[in-house]
Amino acid sequence: MIATLLEVSGVTVTFDGFRAINNLSIQFPPTGLRAIIGPNGAGKTTFMDIVTGKTKPDEGRVVWGEENISLLGLSESDIAMRGIGRKFQKPTVFEAQTVRQNLAMALKNPRGPFAVLTHRKTAENAAKIDAIAAEIGLTDSLTRIAGELSHGQKQWLEIGMLLAQDPRLLLVDEPAAGMTVEEREKTTDILRRAAKTRSVVVVEHDMEFVRRLDCKVTVLHEGAVLAEGSLDHVASNQTVIDVYLGRGHA
Amino acid sequence: MHNSFIARNPSVLWFLAALGLFTFGVTLLSEATGIGLISTSFVKTLGKTLCLCLIAIAMDVVWGYCGILSLGHFAFFGIGGYAIGMWLMYARTETIVLSSLAGQTIPATPQEISDAIGNQIFGVVGSSEFPLIWAFSDSLVLQLAMVVLIPGLLALVFGWLAFRSRVTGVYLSILTQAMTLALSLYLFQNDSGLRGNNGLSGLQNIPGFEATPQATISIIFFLASAFALGAGYVFFAWVISGKMGSVVQGIRDNEARVRFLGYQVEGYKLFIFTITAIVSGIAGALYYPQAGIINPGEIAPIASIYLAVWVAIGGRGRLYGAVIGAAFVSLLSSWFTGGGAPDINLGFYTIQWTDWWLVLLGLSFVIVTLYFPKGIGGLFDYLVRKPS
Ligand SMILES: Nc1ncnc2c1ncn2[C@@H]1O[C@H](COP(=O)(O)OP(=O)(O)OP(=O)(O)O)[C@@H](O)[C@H]1O
Ligand SMILES: [Mg+2]
Repeated sequence: MIATLLEVSGVTVTFDGFRAINNLSIQFPPTGLRAIIGPNGAGKTTFMDIVTGKTKPDEGRVVWGEENISLLGLSESDIAMRGIGRKFQKPTVFEAQTVRQNLAMALKNPRGPFAVLTHRKTAENAAKIDAIAAEIGLTDSLTRIAGELSHGQKQWLEIGMLLAQDPRLLLVDEPAAGMTVEEREKTTDILRRAAKTRSVVVVEHDMEFVRRLDCKVTVLHEGAVLAEGSLDHVASNQTVIDVYLGRGHA
Repeated sequence: MHNSFIARNPSVLWFLAALGLFTFGVTLLSEATGIGLISTSFVKTLGKTLCLCLIAIAMDVVWGYCGILSLGHFAFFGIGGYAIGMWLMYARTETIVLSSLAGQTIPATPQEISDAIGNQIFGVVGSSEFPLIWAFSDSLVLQLAMVVLIPGLLALVFGWLAFRSRVTGVYLSILTQAMTLALSLYLFQNDSGLRGNNGLSGLQNIPGFEATPQATISIIFFLASAFALGAGYVFFAWVISGKMGSVVQGIRDNEARVRFLGYQVEGYKLFIFTITAIVSGIAGALYYPQAGIINPGEIAPIASIYLAVWVAIGGRGRLYGAVIGAAFVSLLSSWFTGGGAPDINLGFYTIQWTDWWLVLLGLSFVIVTLYFPKGIGGLFDYLVRKPS
């Protein structure tokens, strides 16, 4: 097995002269959890935008997989097909469609228009959808319209869609935002299980949540890595305390 | 599989039943095949309305389902009409020319025949040469192929350029208007090869059926239009059911999210844009032989805007809504503009509907958009209890 699934090195992004990402370098192994924390505007979401092809960096390299493919210049759909799934900061599910339709659309299957047009429901796909629905606790809601779900359920549905894509790397932006304590616990469990077979990167502000994830933590600040290591290790770093934890986030 | 498609979409069956009943009723009441309660000209109006319903469901698929507010689909409709019109005009003129030359002692050479036909057709624009685009006009089969190919190819090229550069929203709508405007301005030119603002005429005369009365021809076209609408309805209902429908509606609601799921959004848009353009072309090819004449004014940008208005009033995002909108508004429009509606005398001012109809339509459009976004079709939601 390879040591590094995704390697971001020396990446810089400027928006109208403002450096949102500043010479950022960060690597992820093929399996396991990683938490990314940092103050508002640190560049966490922008980092995900770069990896998933939404934002083109000015400089740097983003290298993926065994064959060391550069992701720069690939389209969003191409990157997704290579095995990178993403959950957005604001939950984005297809609100006009049912939970089952949302999951079916995400399920790993041929993505071309003609394959989709002639697509037929199979028992195998149905079983996969049922398994994912059970994992995210939406078994009873499969026929409901996604727009009717609670905020937390939408978050889970989006995580479920990620799982359905069966990606090798999951980028999860603030999964616990707006969730109750029990919902957060359930979310941690889902993410930890998912991380057994793939790489899961979680951006989160909630320190309790991060502590429960029990994984390596990377602190971003002003578009670059400020500290990296266990939560206790980074939490004892004076600069981290000054720029982030000291502001009442802990 | 087909059974389950119908089972999952009961509205398709309802629609086909309603269309069948309507068609049957008109046939029984028409002059040619029934008791003559409906005049031939009204049969033509109804047949044309069915064609408008067909382009309306195409518009609903591209706009209501895929979220592309195309303001250019009437261009494809017009192209379909021109394509079939070229054959109709050529073949009929050929018949006339041949019969007039038949009496001569020395048989006419093919060149003389061709010149005579050219003279007849292009005399109005001061020419007798056959332009290159008429190369296949002597062949019904090839011109029928053009009905499908030209709108399809134009949509494919236009859509590829627009979607690839990720033009969306109002900019895309403006671009489609520009395409329509360019096409109609081009056709207005005398040297466009399509008789400038004269357009193509005499299309109601079907070559080979000179002896058949218009009453019969009208009912045949009416039936053909009904069949095309039924087939188009089933086809589009099939396309937007199932997973394709999920992806297409996903693109409408959140294009970026669909991309991050790994779908190539551009390909899907292109697919929907092109098949709806082709169906629009077919609708046009059925419409203009019933109208009898096509001219560049038909392709004017406003026509495509009306199309969007019909679909909005009927209720977008449901195919029967588009049908209702197109039928209701276009029939109402011909009633008002045809002087059917009595003028209203207010004492100090007389409302003449021929002038005021557009104002009424515009107002209705605004009211529907603001207060009844589901349109007329939304009323069905009150009739049918939602399955829980
Ligand atoms: N498209 C854009 N155009 C201009 N500025 C942008 C753009 N996207 C992000 N930024 C800026 O880049 C910086 C980093 O933003 P980013 O969204 O990555 O922060 P974040 O770490 O995700 O913050 P939060 O915790 O609030 O989600 C911010 O200052 C933001 O205003
Ligand atoms: Mg963010």
